[in-house]
Amino acid sequence: MKNGIAIVFAAVVALGASWCGLVLAPTLQLGGAKLTTVLNSPDTYPLQRTGEASLGLQIYRANGCAACHTEQVRQDGIQAELMLTALGNYQPEDFKAFTESLFVQQALEPVTNALAINLKGWNGSLPFVFLTTSDKEIADKINQSINVPGVKSELRIVATGADLARGWGPRRSVAADYLYDQPVQLGRLRAGPDLANIGVRQPDANWQLLHLYAPKAVVPNSTMPSFKYLFAVRKIGAALAPEALKLNAEFAPAAGYEVVPTAAAKELVAYLLSLRANVPLYEAPFTPVTTKP
Amino acid sequence: MSDDISKRCCLANESEPTVTRSTVPMWIIVVTLVLLFFGGLYFDSHGDWGNQKLYKPFTSAEQLETFQPKSGAAAVMAQGRASYETVCGICHGSDGMGKPGQAPALAGSEWVTTKGVNRLAHIPLAGISGPLQVKGQNWNLAMAAMGAALPDENLAAALTYIRSSWGNQAGEVTADEVRNIRAAIGNSPPMLSREQLLALPE
Repeated sequence: MKNGIAIVFAAVVALGASWCGLVLAPTLQLGGAKLTTVLNSPDTYPLQRTGEASLGLQIYRANGCAACHTEQVRQDGIQAELMLTALGNYQPEDFKAFTESLFVQQALEPVTNALAINLKGWNGSLPFVFLTTSDKEIADKINQSINVPGVKSELRIVATGADLARGWGPRRSVAADYLYDQPVQLGRLRAGPDLANIGVRQPDANWQLLHLYAPKAVVPNSTMPSFKYLFAVRKIGAALAPEALKLNAEFAPAAGYEVVPTAAAKELVAYLLSLRANVPLYEAPFTPVTTKP
Repeated sequence: MSDDISKRCCLANESEPTVTRSTVPMWIIVVTLVLLFFGGLYFDSHGDWGNQKLYKPFTSAEQLETFQPKSGAAAVMAQGRASYETVCGICHGSDGMGKPGQAPALAGSEWVTTKGVNRLAHIPLAGISGPLQVKGQNWNLAMAAMGAALPDENLAAALTYIRSSWGNQAGEVTADEVRNIRAAIGNSPPMLSREQLLALPE
C-alpha cells in the first residue's frame, strides 16, 4: 500500500470532521446549559422533577411513549400584537380617526392596509387587537403614537406556527426545557399529540389515569392502545378504594371489582403532569396571558 | 488476430497496474469554495455562529433582543416583582406581610394603598424613621432609602407591584412620577419622619 499514511490521515480527517460537527459543536453550544430564569421574573426554570415524576420518566421510556408522541413544539414566526385595552374618555370613532391620521407617515406604509381593515371591522368592544405585524419597530412606533392620556394599548409578543395553533403550547421548545430529562425523549412521530405541555393542557391526574386505562373512555376517537397492565383489577374490599378509577359501564370491570392504578401508573402520570413548558424565556419570548385579579 | 494475441501476452507480462497521481480538477475546487462561502453566509444570517440562545424564527441576537416583551401591564408587574423580591422583599417578605420587629406589612397598609403616589414614593427614595402606625400597629424603626439606587422604571414597577398585589388594589406608579420626586428631593435627602411625610400631598 503506497499511500497508507495518506489514507489513514484522510480517514481521521473524515471521522474527526463528523465528530466535531455531531459531538463537539453541540457540546460546546449546549453542554454547559444551566438553570435559567423565567423572563421578567426571579423564578428559576425548569423546575426539578419530584422523585415520583423522575421515576415516571423511565416508565414513559419503558413503554415506548416516545414512539408515538413528541415532546417538541415547533414555531414558525414571531409577531407583535397591538391590543387596545382602554379608551378613557374617547369614543371608538375618535380612535379610528386618530389612527387613520397616522397613515400619512411613510414609515407605517407596510401596515396601513391591515390597520384600515381591522379598524373597519371593529364594533367598539375592548380589548381589541388592532394590529398584528412581524415588524416590531412599526408596532413600537404606533404604540407610542397612540399614547394619549386615558388610552391604553398593550404590545404583546405572540409566537406563531402550526403546532402553536393546535394549542400545544404558547412557544417553541428550547434546550432549557429538557435540562432534567435523562434521556431526552424528543420523539419523531406524531401518531398522538405532542406532550411538551401536557401538564398544562390536561392537569387533571384522574383524567390522565382514565386515559391510560381506557383511552376511548375519555377520547372516543383515540387510537392510543390501552395501558391496562399499569393498573390492577381487584376485588373490592370493605369499601371502594378512594383511588379506584371511576369508569362508565362500557369500560368498568365485573361487578364487585375495582380498577386501581399501580405505582408505575401514578409515576407516569406524575411525569406527564410535570411537562409544563409554558413560561416565557429569553430565547423564546412571548407575552403571557394574564388574568386580571 | 495475431496482433491481439501479442497484446494479451504483453499486457499480462506488464507489472502490476498503478494509479498515478493526478491534479484535482479546478472546477471542483471552485465549486467547493463557492459552497463554503454560501454556507458561511447562511450560518452568519441564521445561527449567529452558534449562539445558544438563538432559535428559529430568530436570525440574529439583535432581533431576539427587540422582541423581548417589555411593555404592557404584565411585564411591568413581572419587573416590579423581580425588583421587589431582590430589594424590598428581604424585610417586607415576598408575601408582603412584613416581619415582626423588622418591617411592617405592605399588604393592606394604608400607606401603600393611598390615592396618590407622592407620599408612598417618598418612602423608598428618602427613607423613613421614627414612630409610625401601620394597620393600627405601632412601629418605631428606621428604613434607609432602599429604592434610591433603583432605576426610575424599576422602582415605579416595584411600587406598582406592591400597590396591586396581596389584595391591594391601588393604581399604578409611572416612571415619570418617580423621576419627578427624585428630582425634587435631590441627592441623599434626609430620612423623613411620620409628620414630614403627612405634610406632603398624598
